[in-house]
Amino acid sequence: MLTISGVYAGYGGGDVLQGLDLEVPSGAITCIVGPNGAGKSTVLRVVSGLLKPRLGTVELDGVRLDQFGTAGVLGKGVAQVPQSQALFPQMTIRENVLLGGYTLRRDKQLLTKRYDRVAELIPIVAERSNDKAGNLSGGQRRMVEIARCLMVEPSVLLLDEPSLGLDPISLTGVSQLVKDANAGGTTVLLVEQNVRLGLSMATHGVVLEGGRVALEAAAGDLMANPEVAELYLGGAPSKAPAAAGSTAAAAGSAPAARSGDASTKR
Amino acid sequence: MTQLVQALVLGLLIGGVYALMASGLTLIFGVMNIINVAHGALLILVAFITWKTWSVTGIDPILLSIVMTPVMFGLGWALYKGVLSRISGTSPGMSVLLTFGIAITIEGVLNVTAGNRFRSATPSYFSQSYRVFGISLPKAQVYGCLAAVLVLGLLYLVLSRTWTGRAIRATAQNASGAALVGIQSAGVAALAFAIGTATTGVGGSVLSVLYPFFPASHYDWISRLLGIIVLGGMGSLAGALVGALILGLAETLTATYGSLQWSTLIFYAVIMIVLLFRPQGLFGSRLRQDVMA
Ligand SMILES: Nc1ncnc2c1ncn2[C@@H]1O[C@H](COP(=O)(O)OP(=O)(O)O)[C@@H](O)[C@H]1O
Ligand SMILES: [Mg+2]
Repeated sequence: MLTISGVYAGYGGGDVLQGLDLEVPSGAITCIVGPNGAGKSTVLRVVSGLLKPRLGTVELDGVRLDQFGTAGVLGKGVAQVPQSQALFPQMTIRENVLLGGYTLRRDKQLLTKRYDRVAELIPIVAERSNDKAGNLSGGQRRMVEIARCLMVEPSVLLLDEPSLGLDPISLTGVSQLVKDANAGGTTVLLVEQNVRLGLSMATHGVVLEGGRVALEAAAGDLMANPEVAELYLGGAPSKAPAAAGSTAAAAGSAPAARSGDASTKR
Repeated sequence: MTQLVQALVLGLLIGGVYALMASGLTLIFGVMNIINVAHGALLILVAFITWKTWSVTGIDPILLSIVMTPVMFGLGWALYKGVLSRISGTSPGMSVLLTFGIAITIEGVLNVTAGNRFRSATPSYFSQSYRVFGISLPKAQVYGCLAAVLVLGLLYLVLSRTWTGRAIRATAQNASGAALVGIQSAGVAALAFAIGTATTGVGGSVLSVLYPFFPASHYDWISRLLGIIVLGGMGSLAGALVGALILGLAETLTATYGSLQWSTLIFYAVIMIVLLFRPQGLFGSRLRQDVMA
C-alpha cells in the first residue's frame, strides 16, 4: 500500500497540493483524473522524489519515501514514466533501456537478463535497438519509456498521461502493457487526461481538484457517477462515447463548474 | 600546391590542440549549463606550473601533463564542491560571474607569484621540424596534437563505454530523465567538472610550448575557446572538434594567403554566418528547453 498523508507541495509560489491524503492499494491500477493544473503530475513527482513535499509523508508499506531523492525511491521499487520527454534523445534505444538499470549496473548478469526480458516483452526495443531515441514517434517513445522502467522490475509503476499524443494503435499497445505489468504483480498509479481510457484501464479512480481528493471510488462506479460523466466524459454515463477533443475541453472548464454550478452546465 | 597542403596540415595540427582545450569547456556546459570563463585561466595556470617545473628540472613540458592532469582533476573537483555547487540550478549568467571571479583570482595570483612577463617553455625540439614529402611539420606541433588526440580519444572512450560516461551524457541530455533512473546529479556534476578541468592539465602543458603566455593571456584564450564551442554548438563534443579545426584552418590559410591579422576576423565572420542559419551552432541540438517530468 502506497500512502500519501497530509502532503503540501509546490514550486515556490504557493502549494499546488494542499493537504493531499491518498491510499493506493497494492496490486491495483489506480487512476487519478482531474482538470488541467489540478496537481496530478505534482502528485507523481512527489512520490517519485523529483519534488520534496513541504509537509506530509509518503510511505510504501510503512517505509517512508519522502526523505529520499529519486535514486532512493527507485531503490525502494518505485519507478516513474513522466508526462513528457523522459528519454535521452541522442542515445540509442538500447542505451536508454540499459540506463533504466543504472542502479543495477554492478550486476552485469542481472542487467543482461533484465534487458533480454524487456526486449522480449516490448518488441520495439529489439527492433530499433540501435536507433536514436530522438527519432521515435510518440507511441514508440512511450513504449521505450515503459521498457526503461521495467528494467528495475518495479513494485510500483507511476505513469503520467501515458495516452498523451498517441495514435489508437499505440494506445492499445500501451494500455495492454500496463495491464500486463499489473497482472505480473506491479501496483500501478496512473494519471490520465483521457478520463474514459484511464478509468477503463483502472480498478480504482480518484478525482483530484485544487490539490485535494474530491472523489474516490471503484473505477466503474466513478465512470457511472453523473457528475464525473458530466464533467469529464462529455455527457451522461449512458450516452455514446465522446470524442477525445470534447473530453479535454470539458476537463479544462471544470474548475469553473466546480463551485457548485455543475448542474447549470447542462 | 605544396603551400596549400602545408597550410592545411598545419591548420589541422593547431586545430587538434584547440579541440583539446575546448573539449573540457563544452563538456562542462553540456552537463551543468555552466559557462566556465575560468577555463582559460586554468590553462594559463597549468602553463605556468609546467614552464616553471621545466625550467627548474628540465623535464619535458608535454610529458609533465601526466602529472598535471590528475592534479587538475582534483582542483576541478574541489572547485566544484567548494564553489560552483553553490550556484547549481541558477542561470548560466550566474556561472559567468562566478567563474570570471575565479579567472581574475588566478590571474592575480600568477601576477604576484610568477610576474607579468611573457614565458615560453623551449625544450630541445622546440625549433625542430619533421620533413615529410616536402612539408615541414614542427615537432612541438606534432607532439601537442598527438597528446590532444590521445586525450580526446580517452575522453570519448570514457563517455561512451563506462557507466560514469553514460551518467554524464544522460544528465547533459535530460537532467530529470537522468534523475528518474537513479543518477545522482550532484555527483555527476562534480565528476564532469573535474574531468573538464583535467583536460587543462594536458592543454596547458602543450600551450606552454606552443604559445608564449603571460597571466592575462587567458582573456585571449577564453574568447577563442568560447568562439569554438559557440560555432560547434554549446555542449557538443563533436561540435568542439569541428569548430576547433575550422579555427585552426582559418588561421593557417589566412596567414598563408593573406596576413595573420585577418585570421581572427575571418573566424568570427564564419561564426556569424553559421549562427545566422543555425542559431544553435553546427552540432547543437535545438535550443535547450527545460524538460519537465
Ligand atoms: N515546474 C513548475 N514550476 C512552477 N509551477 C509549476 C511547475 N509545474 C507545474 N506547475 C504548476 O503547478 C500546478 C499543477 O501542475 P501539474 O501538477 O502539472 O498539473 P496537472 O498534471 O494536473 O495538469 C499548475 O498550476 C502548474 O502551473
Ligand atoms: Mg500533468
